[in-house]
Amino acid sequence: MPSAVYIVGRGVISALGDDLSGNRESLLQSQAGIKAITRLNTRYSEILPAAEVPHSNETLAAMADMPVTTTRTALLSMIAAKEAFDSFLLPDKLNYKVGFISANTVGGMDKTEDFMKEFAVDTSKGKLHDVIHHDCGAATELVAEKLGITEVVTTISTACSSAANAMIYAARLIRNGYLDWAIAGGTDALSRFTINGFNSLMILDNELCRPFDDTRKGLNLGEGAGYVVLASEKMVALLAQQPSVKLSGFANANDAYHQTASSPEGRGNFDTMSGALAEAGLQPSDIDYINLHGTGTANNDSSEGIAISRLFGTDLPYLSSTKTYTGHTLAACGGIEAIYATLAIEEGVVFPNLRFQHQMKELEFAPQTNLLEGKEIRHVLSNSFGFGGNCTSLIFSKVK
Amino acid sequence: MELYINGIGAISPQKTFDNSVFLDEVLSYSTNKMMCVDPDYSLFFDGRAIRRMSRILKFGIAAAMIAIDDAGKPELDAISTGTGFGCLEDSEIFLRNIVADNEGVVSPTPFIQSTHNTVSGQIALLLKCQKANNTFSHKGFSFESALLDARLNALDYPTQQNFLVGSSDEISTASYAIMSRMNIFRKEPCDNLAQLASSGKGVIAGEGAAYVVLGKASTENTYGRFVDVKMISNPKDEATIEKAIHAFLALHELSLKDVDIVISGLCGDESRDTLLKYCNENVYTEQSIIGFKHLCGEYMTASSFAVWLGAKMLKTQQVPESVVLRNTARTPKTILIHNAYKTSHSLILLKQ
Amino acid sequence: MQELINTLKQQIVEQLNLKHIKPEEIGDDQPLFVDGLGLDSIDALELIVLLQQKYGIKLANPEEGPKVFHTVRALAEFITANQKK
Repeated sequence: MPSAVYIVGRGVISALGDDLSGNRESLLQSQAGIKAITRLNTRYSEILPAAEVPHSNETLAAMADMPVTTTRTALLSMIAAKEAFDSFLLPDKLNYKVGFISANTVGGMDKTEDFMKEFAVDTSKGKLHDVIHHDCGAATELVAEKLGITEVVTTISTACSSAANAMIYAARLIRNGYLDWAIAGGTDALSRFTINGFNSLMILDNELCRPFDDTRKGLNLGEGAGYVVLASEKMVALLAQQPSVKLSGFANANDAYHQTASSPEGRGNFDTMSGALAEAGLQPSDIDYINLHGTGTANNDSSEGIAISRLFGTDLPYLSSTKTYTGHTLAACGGIEAIYATLAIEEGVVFPNLRFQHQMKELEFAPQTNLLEGKEIRHVLSNSFGFGGNCTSLIFSKVK
Repeated sequence: MELYINGIGAISPQKTFDNSVFLDEVLSYSTNKMMCVDPDYSLFFDGRAIRRMSRILKFGIAAAMIAIDDAGKPELDAISTGTGFGCLEDSEIFLRNIVADNEGVVSPTPFIQSTHNTVSGQIALLLKCQKANNTFSHKGFSFESALLDARLNALDYPTQQNFLVGSSDEISTASYAIMSRMNIFRKEPCDNLAQLASSGKGVIAGEGAAYVVLGKASTENTYGRFVDVKMISNPKDEATIEKAIHAFLALHELSLKDVDIVISGLCGDESRDTLLKYCNENVYTEQSIIGFKHLCGEYMTASSFAVWLGAKMLKTQQVPESVVLRNTARTPKTILIHNAYKTSHSLILLKQ
Repeated sequence: MQELINTLKQQIVEQLNLKHIKPEEIGDDQPLFVDGLGLDSIDALELIVLLQQKYGIKLANPEEGPKVFHTVRALAEFITANQKK
């Protein structure tokens, strides 16, 4: 079995809070962050609820200690990555081979779409400064530079599975000696591009989403960033405080069914969940909690649910979708939800699947609807399934 | 771990889609933009599929298909791709549609195809490949990250045998206009074939897709071996890059004298080329220096074209005149690709 | 009705970029999805856009799509029944 990689730091910003402690508080209070759009300038602000980080770019720039012209994707990334970096308590931590493996789908789109308003009318118009950080890698480079990370810096962009894949890549680099430790995860900012895009696919709910509910109508978009610090056993031996959670298994597979829809039987989902279990040397019955991808679309929840039924049979762990709190944060969700998985393990809690009422007809199970505390959560399975058939599952385990 | 290059495919501003020839004819361009020479796409896609496909989807997927076909259609264990800017044309169309109607009713197709992993996802769909699939989008390291991904898969999974790796990037109407405003390109008229010799300000815009099939076992069609890749972010000076080159080679028990050919990522822009020029003149003193960006132009994933070129040289044992910048009559046994996209330097080691 | 059917065929070919098909080759009663013309779920979304942009009809529930878009004739009948006067 391949060597495990340990979680030795975390950083997160979402509609639930500006940091780990804020997110944790909202989760425990069953306080969702999905509401009417107030910050983004969009025609849909009164029509489509979303989970915005409740700060202007000016405020985020001050928090990130970055210029106010920085893209929102980069600002969110910086805030969460810095928290993760600071939370890793190793002396002279930059004196090792360090990586920053980030992920996003929108890149600098929040600025590009402003640019396009003028450019579309006259190609000599539009502020060039708004598009210099359009590409996905730009946000990653800005953050890596500020943190002083150089050994391996890269960006993954596989739609909703991006951050999860970033964590896998980082874990692999560590296992194979390319890195000693790495910050890995993802970020995405809300933009008109994504709101209009998802709306054109008719998979947005104009009310608060209800993942895994039989009458669900779609997803709500969110934004945020989430990063974990991963380290090798060698690094962990140098720490004063030992980590309590490790990344014990993972798998990446492709559904190869349709560009945007999942196969009805959720074969990609099945492959990644069973693949992650095999890698971790675990049985389905070892999993205590599944953090569902659970977006709230008719298609995703059905495919994911059926794949879970096929794999777990009737012996099911607790399950919930924390997107009922954070909305769908696209590339960031794998990172944010990984952090929530670690909280579940550390604190022995299961966060509820909010607003659930009707069990899905095709499933023989329902998600957890109220907060559970005082549970023994040893292993958590976290799913992230995206467009392009990109499926990924991660398993987090308690360190004995 | 060394992996055999068992199949290659490239669609570029040169006639590279036909594997049976090797730069027999080199195309010259007098503009600062070189776009792909297309194969007959109806050979790759049926009418229903092709109707939606943007240029990057067509040439990206077709290049992958050429490589897979070339390799004898092995069962793939993973697909790793890179793209610097992703599907620009579709992104632009969708953005324009949103603006034109002030976020009114918009067609979903360009949005669906704008996501960076579209090429990778479509390849998986066409091949019905349900194995691991990754897309990297990190400027001048997008392709290199994908190469490393394949290497990591090969290292971590003993039972996995064959890996598809490649990249694609396109010039879109908007991106060309925007980068022109940023003075990134050479002022016209240009001569791509003289671009590298005539050091000046600005690059020639390029685009293209190149894929390789890497395998743990060699086949009759094997071109050579991919040994390893190293990415060096913003090397601060000459000493830093030199040290990195020596360290990379030493990791594989090689020193500079073992390297026959250096494929250099010179782009003809004086400010971008300084470190590469330094290396060519002071570090790679005994090697033949090959250029490639006069053929494919400059773009974030141009290094995949260099891999295609290196693989061809290893197999044919020919070094086309059209790519030689300095000839020291070394036969192609060990090739080091040293690319730079702005300050992102990468080293890719290939062997016979 | 026939005039609307013929116009729709033209618009369908344009909206869905069916370069390889001539509008007159589409049968009035030919199934558009799965069999027949073999359109897919993305095409269904595009037809919803066409309905809204060209005929001002908003299909709020994509699940009604298969019925409404079953054939060109079915689509023409739906439009006739629902178009704002």
